[in-house]
Amino acid sequence: MVSPRAYGRGKELITLDDVSKRLIRLLIRDELPSSGRVWVDGQDVVRMRRSAVPKLRRRVGVVFQDFKLLPRRTVAENVGFALLVTGHSEEEAREETERALSLVGLAQRRDHFPDQLSGGEQQRAAIARALVSRPKILIADEPTGNLDPVTSWEIIKLLIRVNELGTTLVMATHNAEIVNALRRRVVHLDRGMVVRDEREGLYAA
Amino acid sequence: MKRVSYVLSAAWQGFWRNPVMSLASTFTVGLMLLLFAFFVATDRGLQAAVGVLESKVELALFLEDDARVSDVLALRTQIEADPAVSHVDYVTKDQAMARLVDIASRQSDIQIVDISSNPLPASLEIKLQNAQEAPRIGATLRQEIGKGVVHEVVDNPSVVDKLLTITRVLSFGGVAVLAMMLVVALFVIVNTIRIAVHARRDEIEIMKLVGATDWFVRWPFILEGMLVGALGAMAALTVVVLAAGPVTNALVGFLEIVPLSFGSAFLWQLVGSVFALALAVGGGGAMLSVRAHLAK
Repeated sequence: MVSPRAYGRGKELITLDDVSKRLIRLLIRDELPSSGRVWVDGQDVVRMRRSAVPKLRRRVGVVFQDFKLLPRRTVAENVGFALLVTGHSEEEAREETERALSLVGLAQRRDHFPDQLSGGEQQRAAIARALVSRPKILIADEPTGNLDPVTSWEIIKLLIRVNELGTTLVMATHNAEIVNALRRRVVHLDRGMVVRDEREGLYAA
Repeated sequence: MKRVSYVLSAAWQGFWRNPVMSLASTFTVGLMLLLFAFFVATDRGLQAAVGVLESKVELALFLEDDARVSDVLALRTQIEADPAVSHVDYVTKDQAMARLVDIASRQSDIQIVDISSNPLPASLEIKLQNAQEAPRIGATLRQEIGKGVVHEVVDNPSVVDKLLTITRVLSFGGVAVLAMMLVVALFVIVNTIRIAVHARRDEIEIMKLVGATDWFVRWPFILEGMLVGALGAMAALTVVVLAAGPVTNALVGFLEIVPLSFGSAFLWQLVGSVFALALAVGGGGAMLSVRAHLAK
């Protein structure tokens, strides 16, 4: 298994090729490695006490490929949910939700339900939910996987803005065009092994 | 305290998300609690009755209400002539009632509901020199029944024995039936909560992924279980309140004892223990279910 190191301190944008659903689950300790160590933000995730896991997950926002939005809740409720269930007050949740929604440009769609949104809007909603607890690290799994090229670029621009605002961004993608255009750090994984790690990498070696 | 309101509203929504199942388990829990209340009350009542009877004499003749006093006094003289008898007391209807009122006033868990009519018979109470003579004298006196003076001969120790047996059978049987009901109630609650967990599995998944603590995930379900218990307790206690009168009357008619009612101290104990059992079963069942289905 991999012993990946996620760098929490810099404003790097790490792009992971290949694999990665597994890797993301390791990073938020949704799964434990059969061997090896996982470090996130200076913390050993594998040896961490079970009771410390919720705090880890509040510092690592994840945008899942299938979004995981609750269909019977509005966009604002979906975003605020992440705060309410981690013990924040409703006022706090409301304020932070508005902030996150305007950051992703979804403020005017706040009262719509997920199935009334386009794919790109759902993606934005998922990003807003991942950001609402002000995580240090944002992980996006195939953020452009189901989107048309124009919408994909809008999402990538949004993620770069989040990165520029000081959140470490880890993105898993197969999109060569985007990787090549960004010229950021690329870690290439193949069958669970790091085969390449370049500071300003391209998609193909 | 916003946290609390979130958890409470989640529990309330959970209850009504699947009303048929929730109400079915409420009904089951209510039924179990009703049995519990019934056994506790009956047991307490019988114990009180035993206490009253044990304080009485060894042999008693209950007299016909229309027996002539001269006949009664003649009978008394005749009984006193027997060498095994130490003395005989004549207790009138009014004295019998006065004595019962007195006993009741000293026992905080019984009250006399209605003293407008006096169902107590006048009696001759016989103290024996030797308690072993009771069956022989009892048999002799039974021959007087039906001749206009003696209504019934009560061999007091045997009545006490009978009541003690009933009490014992009731508590063994009661415990057994209650244990079975408890298992059924737990089973139904575990299933109700399992369905509730299943209905909210997406929400639970997201809660865990965004960093909700295990307890934050569990509490709504445990409270939902307790809500089922509490509603069951209210239902059971409502039935107890409504049925207490008629059932007491039926029992009074059946066991031929004086109408007694339980004092408020006992009623509060009953309400308290019914609610405690309800919350324990509801919360405990939910906890079992949550542990089995949210373990990951």
